[in-house]
Amino acid sequence: MSVQKTFYKDRIYPLLFMFLITFFCILLTAGIHLATQDRANANELSFTRKAVLDAAGITYVNTTAGIEEAYLKRVEEADGYFTTSGSDGKRFIIPLEGPGLWGTISIMVGFEEDLQTFTGVAIVSQNETPGLGARIEEPWFTDQFRGKRPPFTLVEEGTATASNEVDAITGATRTSEYFRNLANQAADAAKRIVRGE
Amino acid sequence: MAKNKVRKTFLEPLGKNNPVFVQILGICSTLAVTNKLQNTMVMTLGVLFTTALSSWTISLMRNHIPSRIRMMVETMVIATFVIIVDIVLKAFYPEMWKQLGPYVGLIITNCIVMGRVEAFALQNKPMLSLVDGLASGLGYAYVLLAIAFVRELLGTGSLWGYRILGSWWTNWSIMIMPPGGFFVLAILIWIIRETIMKEASHA
Repeated sequence: MSVQKTFYKDRIYPLLFMFLITFFCILLTAGIHLATQDRANANELSFTRKAVLDAAGITYVNTTAGIEEAYLKRVEEADGYFTTSGSDGKRFIIPLEGPGLWGTISIMVGFEEDLQTFTGVAIVSQNETPGLGARIEEPWFTDQFRGKRPPFTLVEEGTATASNEVDAITGATRTSEYFRNLANQAADAAKRIVRGE
Repeated sequence: MAKNKVRKTFLEPLGKNNPVFVQILGICSTLAVTNKLQNTMVMTLGVLFTTALSSWTISLMRNHIPSRIRMMVETMVIATFVIIVDIVLKAFYPEMWKQLGPYVGLIITNCIVMGRVEAFALQNKPMLSLVDGLASGLGYAYVLLAIAFVRELLGTGSLWGYRILGSWWTNWSIMIMPPGGFFVLAILIWIIRETIMKEASHA
């Protein structure tokens, strides 16, 4: 009798208890996850669309609805890239990934029809140092690629003038170099993705 | 008497038993997320929510948890609350979720949460444990916000993302890098221990 009692107390009860706790915890988190999944997916989609619009140099109202409206109106999705057409000609936007200082940097790059001249660059995700390398997300940095052609040369922050020069970020030399390398590969990648060359 | 106990439970983690500058717990996140006030605020709210509710939940079950598996149960409960924070952030504050990256998930391993559950919630009633968890979270929060205030101001010349100092200010880039966290935390601990805590121990 007492042996059975300790067996239950020492072996069965802890097992049952842990099983029940795990069951309830998973039920709760899975429930919340499912309830918010649509919203999370919508956020993710909106984020990618925003990057495409930024890279194409299209202006839009910066809300979820505004992004959706501009995107659906202007952007067409092709196999592995995006195109837009308008009064200023056809544009090609390609996704691109490469190493950063801490992790992968993934970006969208927009090109004019020649697949050489940049129409814009937008960051999709990056893990660079907050406040230093992460400044590649700031508009002054991404905007400076607009209208320029690779290969780019880095110059000291605030001194870029020529059409192949871009400002590096002070205190983030390595991240700037990785980003330049990525941007320099972009034209070749675009030719490969768009024209299959 | 009961009121006194609640008061004491609430005040201790804010002052002489502060989790960060007295017990030196939760240092990993203290150093990692304090380079911007905004991120720090969200992170501390996450920790506050987790410590308060895990303490309360564990305390509710304290007489039924087999002591051999109590740590598994504690981790399970803590992880559940942290994942809730993560999911909610992802759905409603995607920009913030992207910035905080892995640190929200790492609240699970924050020693303050587990520490309060082990040291307090297992022996005390649910409401008192809730107060203790809340106070520990607040004790953690205000220290982190103080550190973030100094680091963001000196490191970027801004507060909460708004430019405060004029263009004459040269950013101390070291402040927003990991070493800046060590400097500010150490200086803060030193100041508090040498002034306020020293007086308190003499009295």
